[in-house]
Amino acid sequence: MRSIIVILLCLCTTQAFSQFYKEYDWAKKPKLHKLSDKEANESSIAIMEKYMVEYVIPDFGNNLQKFETTHTIARVHDEKGIKTHNTVYISMYDVINIVDIKARTITPDGKVTLLNKDNIKEVKNVEEYGDFKIFAIEGAEKDSEIEVLYTLEKEYSAFGRETLQKSYPIKKLEYDFIYGKMPGRAKVYNAFTDFDDRIYNKRQGKQLILEDIVPMIEEEYATPNSNKIYVAFQCFGPGTNVTDDMLWSNVVTNITEGMFPEKVHPEITKIVTGILKDQKTDDYTKAYLIDDYVKKNYTIVKNNNAQLSEIDYIIKNKSASDLGIIKVYSHLLEAAKVEYMPVITSDVYEHKFDSEFFNPTALREFLIYIPKAYNYITPNRVDYRLSEIPPNILGNTGIFVNNKKQFSFYKIPQKDPDYSRVERNMNISFEDDMEYVKIDQNQKYFGHWAMNNRAYLNLAPEQAIKEFEDYLTGSGIEDKVVKKYETENKEMMQLEYNKPFLVSSTITSESLLEEAGDSYIFQVGKVIGTQSELYQETKRVNPIQMQYPNRYNYQIVVTIPTDYEAEGLESLIIKKELLDDKGEQKCKFESNYKLEGNKIVITIEEFYKEFEYEIAEYEGFREVINAASDFNKAAILMNPKE
Amino acid sequence: MTISHMKFPVLLLFFVANICLAQKNTNEDFRFLERTEDIKINLKKGTFNIVKSIHEKAEYVTANKLYFANEVLHFDSFTKLQDIEATTYLPVSGKTLEVDYIETKHEFDDGIFYSDQQTKNFTFPGVTKGAITDLKYKEIISEPHFLGLFRFGTYAPTQKAILRIEFPKNVEIGYKEFHTENITIDFKKEETKNSNIYTWTTENVAKFMSEDDAEAALYHLPHIILHIKNYTEDNKTVPILNNVKDLYSWYASLAKQVDESDLKKVYKIAEDIAKKYTTDREKAEAIYNWVQENITYVAFEDGLGGFIPRGAASVCKNRYGDCKDMANLLYVMLNHVGIPSYRTWIGTRDRPYLYDEVPTPMVDNHMITATVIDKDTIFIDGTDSYVNFGMPSSFTQTKEALIGISPEKFVLKKVPVQPSEKSKTSINTTITFENGNIKASEKRTMTGYERVDFVTDYLYKKKDNTEEEFLNTTLALGNNKTKYQNIEVSPLESKHKTLTLTFDLLIESYAKTIGSKTILNLNIDRVLSKQKIDIEVRKYAKKIDHQFQKKYTTTFIVPKGYKVTSVPKPIKYDGKAYGFDINYEQKDGKVIQHKTIYINTLRVEKEDFEAWNSFVKKLIKAYKKSIIIEK
Repeated sequence: MRSIIVILLCLCTTQAFSQFYKEYDWAKKPKLHKLSDKEANESSIAIMEKYMVEYVIPDFGNNLQKFETTHTIARVHDEKGIKTHNTVYISMYDVINIVDIKARTITPDGKVTLLNKDNIKEVKNVEEYGDFKIFAIEGAEKDSEIEVLYTLEKEYSAFGRETLQKSYPIKKLEYDFIYGKMPGRAKVYNAFTDFDDRIYNKRQGKQLILEDIVPMIEEEYATPNSNKIYVAFQCFGPGTNVTDDMLWSNVVTNITEGMFPEKVHPEITKIVTGILKDQKTDDYTKAYLIDDYVKKNYTIVKNNNAQLSEIDYIIKNKSASDLGIIKVYSHLLEAAKVEYMPVITSDVYEHKFDSEFFNPTALREFLIYIPKAYNYITPNRVDYRLSEIPPNILGNTGIFVNNKKQFSFYKIPQKDPDYSRVERNMNISFEDDMEYVKIDQNQKYFGHWAMNNRAYLNLAPEQAIKEFEDYLTGSGIEDKVVKKYETENKEMMQLEYNKPFLVSSTITSESLLEEAGDSYIFQVGKVIGTQSELYQETKRVNPIQMQYPNRYNYQIVVTIPTDYEAEGLESLIIKKELLDDKGEQKCKFESNYKLEGNKIVITIEEFYKEFEYEIAEYEGFREVINAASDFNKAAILMNPKE
Repeated sequence: MTISHMKFPVLLLFFVANICLAQKNTNEDFRFLERTEDIKINLKKGTFNIVKSIHEKAEYVTANKLYFANEVLHFDSFTKLQDIEATTYLPVSGKTLEVDYIETKHEFDDGIFYSDQQTKNFTFPGVTKGAITDLKYKEIISEPHFLGLFRFGTYAPTQKAILRIEFPKNVEIGYKEFHTENITIDFKKEETKNSNIYTWTTENVAKFMSEDDAEAALYHLPHIILHIKNYTEDNKTVPILNNVKDLYSWYASLAKQVDESDLKKVYKIAEDIAKKYTTDREKAEAIYNWVQENITYVAFEDGLGGFIPRGAASVCKNRYGDCKDMANLLYVMLNHVGIPSYRTWIGTRDRPYLYDEVPTPMVDNHMITATVIDKDTIFIDGTDSYVNFGMPSSFTQTKEALIGISPEKFVLKKVPVQPSEKSKTSINTTITFENGNIKASEKRTMTGYERVDFVTDYLYKKKDNTEEEFLNTTLALGNNKTKYQNIEVSPLESKHKTLTLTFDLLIESYAKTIGSKTILNLNIDRVLSKQKIDIEVRKYAKKIDHQFQKKYTTTFIVPKGYKVTSVPKPIKYDGKAYGFDINYEQKDGKVIQHKTIYINTLRVEKEDFEAWNSFVKKLIKAYKKSIIIEK
């Protein structure tokens, strides 16, 4: 009797701690699933996607274990659908053991083809992503179901993140996060449903179930990638009590190691004297010179060479990792006595930073804030010099660290509201007995516009420069002939704050002047270049994010030939605006004209004071954006005088 | 909102592989001082040991293109890299820095799922304005069929380029230069006791720059292809690549290794398809359609496996394969039902060579199937899922095909250009004018490559965009306010000869009403209007993917109470290679515009640029003409 009890007890304990992933399997006899007509119309649809993350305290030893299971079933209806699902890439990053990888195809007539495991290929050190196991799905025909199931044992890491929204629809998604007695937390983003507590074989866990996930769609003025549904989780050893605050603090300490040098590297001291020469005035100038020096002398390298973050190696080889380069800047700024703050954040188009849930994958972008200049150094952008925050960071939250290694979270703003703007002045005349149109134009580009233009003209390959020059002399005029094209302030090095980049050009075009009997139609709207038009047949999904606040001021003077008179000028009057609660304009497009003798003087003002707008504001925003493209269609009719 | 010219593409900086030829330019940011390739061929008892020693010395004239410091060297199972030595010399300080870290990597490729190609990646240290980098390495080639090519010019100007090959006297070497007319090459033959040495030296080769709508770089870039013709040992001459025959017999020896077991299921599929049809042509077409619809393109490049097709049984079971796998499957299926078919090697239009010029594997990069029906050779490309039977894939037109008749016999045959009649789009549009706006209903019927292009764009370029947005960007009808509604697309599969696309349009602010007059332009589709060539800067011929015709019938229903007061005169451009014809007809309260546009060439040569431009200009002029209606 006693022995029986012992055996029973043993069974119970084993069962109590048995790992859930071990019991999980696919259906013994798979059958095709039933789909609605709409679902059957998709190129492909995931019938089920299941992710299981299980943390385990091992019976022996101290190392916590982490198992990750992925199970997907997708129906493929056409070639495109097959191509979406018939190649499988499994990352081996942190994987210590492949518990199992299997895949099968079920055809409409019920035939099951099992993946031949010998056909799984190993690919080592792919770009920056590490090793992979890859295989092609065997036997997939139209209307088949492709099923993939694999479990990987990974090195213990307390954190994880998984994007759940894909390029195809998902009927049902399950996310199981099993942590037993350990402190575990999980958070879902951009979804309407949350995790529920669940017990898995007597082990504590959380489950998320989502139904009918639509693919994220591409929208303009949006950050669709960072708005996708995703999950982040944390799980620590039993009995520990780790807070987000501790985690951030710890990571800031680690990352900023060497970013506040107590003693400037002797080599740097020499270099700084050479860079600054007699320019020892303000932080803006000094930081700009330092930024320009680093971008012209250092290369950021992405590989696994650990020395790329060691200051001696970096200075000797002028090569650094993306973190290592910050150390170079730190030494240089320190030596030049410029106040600076390292900023840790992520690309807003990829990830929206959440300060309330620690997630190390969010720490991707490293910048340097120069408080006295209110500007930033963006070390990994050779196309940038000290400036307002670049558009891929603007609006995200960042960690700002001071020289006492204290840190705070801020939503990263733009300081100067008028930073980026374009001014244009055009003089338009009709030549050669109404054969063609001649446009003389002077343009001034400020802020990010200027930065982008300079980067193109200095750094891009020739072909791209040629295309860019075409853009600078007026886009969308198909038969344009460029008679003159000159630029000023083209160099990357511009020590004067926000000095404009200038273009002066003369072009001619026949196509802008259309014939209608004895009259001519002048497509004046086209001279401002192709304008973006927002179509929205379907409901807007993403809130609006513009690259940066913007302003345009144009003046167009059209000289009408003396033996003609102009008609149809009312199409030049357009006004659209979006107001905030207080009635202030958030964005606006306004065009108007005056007649001065035989000259029509057209003025356009367009601006976007904010870079973020809510979905509810979309219609108003769209009207302003589209107003510019309405102007694109403005035309003047010129009739011969009688 | 003004469209900014894309964000500055940071990625661009790391992939400046788009090699390009420009005039000598003193404002260069980066140039090669020297590029040397020294090939040594050793032969022992029929086994070759080939070593290429490569030396590249480059100068950073400015600090604008420091990304060239990131070096990537490729190798695969046929080549090994050895003894990589890379340094940077800094003239200002007199210092030399060594590359001390080299990483071996894999790259994922969109086109090839798995490849054994790997890379050695490293970054030259300390590059800045004035830096001089020096790279030396050896490439060990294990397969005597792959001697490769040497480029005299490359993506940056080259001060001096030297190719040297040293080979035993019992080995014969063949070579051919391409596009070297505009550079001066000093060619020298020397000999030592046991070896012959050939050296090609050239100086000051301008950099090569690619152009849009142009042939691939190898059509313009000065380069040379070398090959081992044969060797003599013990009074016996062993051929390697003397001529096409040798190349073919090597291919045939590889083809022999194709797994031909277990073909029962494949045969059954072929029989089941064929028995529904009577003529060979119908049978072949149905089998081709089956492969197009059922085998998905997945490519593996794994050693010689990259040259030997996988067995038809395995391709059929797995339902995937690359070009050679599909070519072989078609070959097996068609022959089984009694239709003589052959495995065929071919270079796509990216490869400029003829087999006789350089009988090497450099000529081809693709495999198809040739079949003969009623004495008619038909080229079938299993990788093109949407082309109709009877037409080759567009990218193989004009190319020389190496058709393997038997292990000993082959024929060379050119893939014919497909005339424009075969790729036709007919556009029928009815336009009405209501409340100041234009409404139109349109039907487009496409055949041939016009159909193929539409389908591939529709499936793969559309991405996550809606159908409306897709049509708006690809067709760009009317203006950017055009709304597309009731879009319908007929089935896409290649068994359907034509594809029909219908939709309705609503175009706001298009017609201009001023006073009693309304001015309306019936050219809502302005195809080719952006095709003017910039003659002053353009260097290379313009490539056209396929010949085509477009035939428009646009009917404008004159609204009640209006009369037509002006209709444009007919206008045409009547070229042999391209042209158009537009005329207007008025009847029964309608204005009907008839418009035909044709392109009957695959290339516009440089000397024809003026003619091409006058064609485009005249077309733009014709597009500018409107009709006027009055109340």
